[in-house]
Amino acid sequence: MKRMHDEQPWIELEGVTKRYGQVAALRDVSLAIYPGLTGLLGPNGAGKSTLIKVLLGLVSCTSGRGRLLQCPLGTGWAKIRTLVGYMPEDDCYIPGLTGVEMVAYLARLSGLPRIEALRRAHEILDYAGIEQERYRLVETYSTGMRQKLKFAQAVVHDPPVLILDEPTAGLDPRERQVMLRRITSLAKEHGKMVLLSTHILPDVQATCDRVVIMSQGQVRISERLDVLRRPSSPSCYVKLLGDERAFVARAEAAGLRVEREEDGGWVILGIEPSEQHKLWRWACEAGAGIRVLRQAQNSLEKIFVEAVGDANHVDA
Amino acid sequence: MWTRDLGYRPWQGKTVPAGFRWSVVALTGIRLAWRSRWVRRVLLLAWAPALYCGVGIFFFENAVKQGTLQPVTFFLRPYAEVVPELERISIALSQHDHALARHRFWAWVLWLFFRHPQGFMLIILVGVIAPDLIARDLRSRAYLIYFSRPLTAWEYLCGKSAVLWFYLSLITFAPAVTLYLIGVFLSPDLSVVKHTWDLPFRIAVASVVLILPTSCLALCFSSLTTESRYAAFAWYAVCFGGWIAYVALSAADVASGPFVAAPLASRWAFVSLYHSLGQVQNGIFGLQDYSDALPAYSLGLATLTLVSLAIVHRRVLAPLRV
Repeated sequence: MKRMHDEQPWIELEGVTKRYGQVAALRDVSLAIYPGLTGLLGPNGAGKSTLIKVLLGLVSCTSGRGRLLQCPLGTGWAKIRTLVGYMPEDDCYIPGLTGVEMVAYLARLSGLPRIEALRRAHEILDYAGIEQERYRLVETYSTGMRQKLKFAQAVVHDPPVLILDEPTAGLDPRERQVMLRRITSLAKEHGKMVLLSTHILPDVQATCDRVVIMSQGQVRISERLDVLRRPSSPSCYVKLLGDERAFVARAEAAGLRVEREEDGGWVILGIEPSEQHKLWRWACEAGAGIRVLRQAQNSLEKIFVEAVGDANHVDA
Repeated sequence: MWTRDLGYRPWQGKTVPAGFRWSVVALTGIRLAWRSRWVRRVLLLAWAPALYCGVGIFFFENAVKQGTLQPVTFFLRPYAEVVPELERISIALSQHDHALARHRFWAWVLWLFFRHPQGFMLIILVGVIAPDLIARDLRSRAYLIYFSRPLTAWEYLCGKSAVLWFYLSLITFAPAVTLYLIGVFLSPDLSVVKHTWDLPFRIAVASVVLILPTSCLALCFSSLTTESRYAAFAWYAVCFGGWIAYVALSAADVASGPFVAAPLASRWAFVSLYHSLGQVQNGIFGLQDYSDALPAYSLGLATLTLVSLAIVHRRVLAPLRV
């Protein structure tokens, strides 16, 4: 496995503010993103797209400074754009070209020689799962096909950094899984630094090492996902078969707090890992069977809602 | 999954220097435009006048060589009354100043070639190629994938403009130089080169004058809309609307005043892009009557070019700012 994951941040932002007239799209954003797969979350209008545009040098920031792979934002835009593969959220393509022509063309714009660009375009289209359709005009592609094409053009020049904006939007469930596997593989096996901007929380939960949650132009949370999902007190998650009430009554009688999860399971707060044998005993006494028992984790949805909800509350 | 799918493989080749990325945009644009049947038809049609003018030069040169200038003079005289340049050629011929007559005749033929068939073809060809160049990219949001690469807006514009420059030079510079060479090869002696050596340079300048303002204005229209048909409509409206306005205003002048021998000298040329370009070309080819207008019209066209460039640059980057 290729290792590029030394713990130096690949994105560093200090006090970055971006205003469009009177509207502040980014407000004093300070952020460090480390190698690996990072999820960028936020409700609509949170400033995710503006942040990406600032990183790519598509718009200049009103104040603040930052670096991407040691290249200063603003002045180092040309170098940054050679290092970054960007998959936009918008449906975008170059009309009049076939899939393979478009990817080869964009590879050439990234600096690949002509023949090499064509060879590489075919190679990446194979990887992205575009088969004979590559010889069709891109205007005729379906949404899912265009999504794969955008992914192909982002990785065709083998950039060390990938910024993927809603990469799974418009894909069917099977293709979505395949796309997520590709992204994970690029990050874990090929050492790519990936910033994954999405609204689909399970995608982030399934793939990302770190998460950045933005709201109202500010970074609310930037942390490792496993740290975020760790509950504040020791706890475990159980799923039962049988008389759940009797089991819960016993746990509560022992002074533990019990919470019902949406999927029908129970989170038992305050129980140390060394005390888990008690759960088996209570289940036995209650005449219930334990189907699932594991360390409890905070759901990303809950973390997201709390972060965004708090922000809305604070800013209101 | 295909048997040749080997998964993701890193690429470790050497990249090409960044200075010529605009040429990638240009070459792709040229290839795309070539796919249009109309572009190929106009190109083919645009070369026919070169042959026609070549025959004219051939007959003139043979007449000079054989000393049988009477038919040429006889032929030119009726037109000389309305076109002063022909009168001068006619006078030079009658004074046996062959060098001067030859230069004037060749310059006049080339001017005619640029002014009438090629000027008209240029309007048609620009209207076929230019509207798609930026409008389609705006409609398909291609700017996001262009400008996420190491490509500046100026390089992008240079590449798009180069598509037009290429095709327009194929109907202006290339056939005019070919016409000049045909004239040289069909001339009975090589003294013609001595007398007309400056004409290839004038052809080059005339081509640039035709191509630059028109391509910038057409790209400006293309950048103002996401529907290329509106850009095409705006282009033809400006060209033909200006033309009609020019003819109407000149005709009004003629009707209300003394007879104007050379309608091209009309003071209303500035209302028409086509006639403004013609005024500058008159000066470039050294046609004396119109040389006075050269600075004013050159300035006008330069202003038009710069304003168009400023607008198109702003419009290309505008979608990224929101």
